[in-house]
Amino acid sequence: MSKPPEAPRDGLTIAMPKGALYRDAAARLRAAGIDVPDDVGRKLTVTTADGTTLLFLRPTDVPAYVEFGSADCGIVGKDVLWETDRNVAELADLGFGYCRLVVAARRIDRYHEGAPFPTFLRVATKFTRSAESFFAERDLPVELIPLHGSVELSPLVGLADLIVDLVATGSTLREHDLVIVEEIAESTARFVVNPVRFRAKYDALIALLDRLTAVPA
Amino acid sequence: MRLPAGVRDWLPHELARKREIEQQMRAVFGRWAYEELQTPIVERFDVLERGLGEEASELLFQFNDRRSTALALRPEMTTPVARLVSTRMREAPLPLRLAYIAPVFRYYEQPQEGRMRELTQAGVELIGAAGIDADAETLFMAIEGLDEIGLRDARFDINDARVVDGILDGVGLDGDAARDAKELIKVRNLVGLRKFDRPALVEFAQRRGRHDAIERARGICRTPESREALDELDAMLERADALGYRERVTVDFALLRDLEYYTGFLFEGYVEEIGFSLCGGGRYDSLLPKFGFDVPAVGWTAGVERLLIALERRGKHVRRRRHRIDVLVAGSDVVAARERAAGNVVRYAGSDLGDEALLEEARAYGIPRVVIALDGTVRELRVGRRMDELPVPRTPSNWDAR
Repeated sequence: MSKPPEAPRDGLTIAMPKGALYRDAAARLRAAGIDVPDDVGRKLTVTTADGTTLLFLRPTDVPAYVEFGSADCGIVGKDVLWETDRNVAELADLGFGYCRLVVAARRIDRYHEGAPFPTFLRVATKFTRSAESFFAERDLPVELIPLHGSVELSPLVGLADLIVDLVATGSTLREHDLVIVEEIAESTARFVVNPVRFRAKYDALIALLDRLTAVPA
Repeated sequence: MRLPAGVRDWLPHELARKREIEQQMRAVFGRWAYEELQTPIVERFDVLERGLGEEASELLFQFNDRRSTALALRPEMTTPVARLVSTRMREAPLPLRLAYIAPVFRYYEQPQEGRMRELTQAGVELIGAAGIDADAETLFMAIEGLDEIGLRDARFDINDARVVDGILDGVGLDGDAARDAKELIKVRNLVGLRKFDRPALVEFAQRRGRHDAIERARGICRTPESREALDELDAMLERADALGYRERVTVDFALLRDLEYYTGFLFEGYVEEIGFSLCGGGRYDSLLPKFGFDVPAVGWTAGVERLLIALERRGKHVRRRRHRIDVLVAGSDVVAARERAAGNVVRYAGSDLGDEALLEEARAYGIPRVVIALDGTVRELRVGRRMDELPVPRTPSNWDAR
């Protein structure tokens, strides 16, 4: 059994999402008094002067690090929480990183105007869990095609009838003449903690929660 | 030659550590006058569903026998014990104090460390006893159990399901809304709870404490059940203090355990390094009535593998005792039998080995005596304790140290 690195006893270990959420997450933590670097470069972790350890992770990996307690807490988009279904406690909506998870299709298919779907739908997405439960709730049989990038291409070349994807401004959809058929949910960044660490490091985590939420969004 | 996902083998030296913990837990159960029992690994599906509810039955390993009777592997021991007590032990004088150390099975989609599909539970059920004395007995036994295996800094959070209901009632939620809120409380989803627009709800799900937290809850709980539960939590803290557990027991009103059957007092034990709880339990007065036996009950259980992870992670390995062998015997079944009859652990050696080879084997396994019975004579060789001069032998107990 390999031994995971032990979290330091005093300071908190915070799982940080690299990518789109990073700047806002870093700014919010700085406002809460934690010395978070602007740019992480190729670093995996940093320990700040006040003893806080930051882990720089792919956003989709944040919930796993927090569930296992390798990080005490973390910042991650709600969309990632839907997809990963990890046992983490969601303590605060940090407000930034707004986007919507939507069903989209080609404008010419007119699904957004109520045109009937084909009896057997092919749906391309990076969000297979969310897509599966969305269509299951509507009793729509679908074939899910899990993709890892540029999902908006798939309806244009006939790979899929619909896509399920995140939309921030909608410009990507417009560029490819795609339209929103239905909105599944809205997502923003969340402050999550490990359920047991919440108790074990209660004072430190509550103090951080209070400082994170005291800042106007 | 692969294993199915989520299950593992135990090599002798690994099993030795696990057994050590199990023995320590068994000793604690015994000191509290609990008797160990055993039930089948396989139960009828309808029995488990009756105890666990529909939601939990999603976790079951299910299959049919050849007559299409739906069966399942037990995912925990409380339901099988409830079935057993309500069928076979109805006439036994109450309260019953029962213990188990047993494998259970859960069909996790993504098995992983701390969430294996096969795990070992060590726990107890106190059946036929209502009230705080029985609740306190389970909590304090659990604290002693973790102390016994060396986790003396383990902490315990306590709650009562009746207080959660009282808080929901106090903020004016009932029906579906109360049920939804309870699900959010269980996972401490404060974001979801804020949508109910009841600030007190979020406050209670967030703030842990001791007498101060109980006092705040008194301001909002109006139902007689919840007020009684608050008095009992107060008393529980005082009893814990008297045992020297002041720093180790805290009230957390968001503590709700996964299984549906809990009706009153609840607790979970944990240590700082591990992101999972190590043990937990509570009162489940409505479970035995589901099996037609109207008696209250309370119990707790610990995950043996999680206890092992906790000990290993803090470098506090359970004593790695080498398997003790007293004597190496060559050449005679009779001599070996005599040694065994005298209570010694005997290892057989090949009768074609010379003295030097026998001594080498004895040294490699730390065996103090060699008895050679050849050609009608019995000779005994003393093995010098010169282990430090010898290369470390490759025995099972240090395979993982390579």
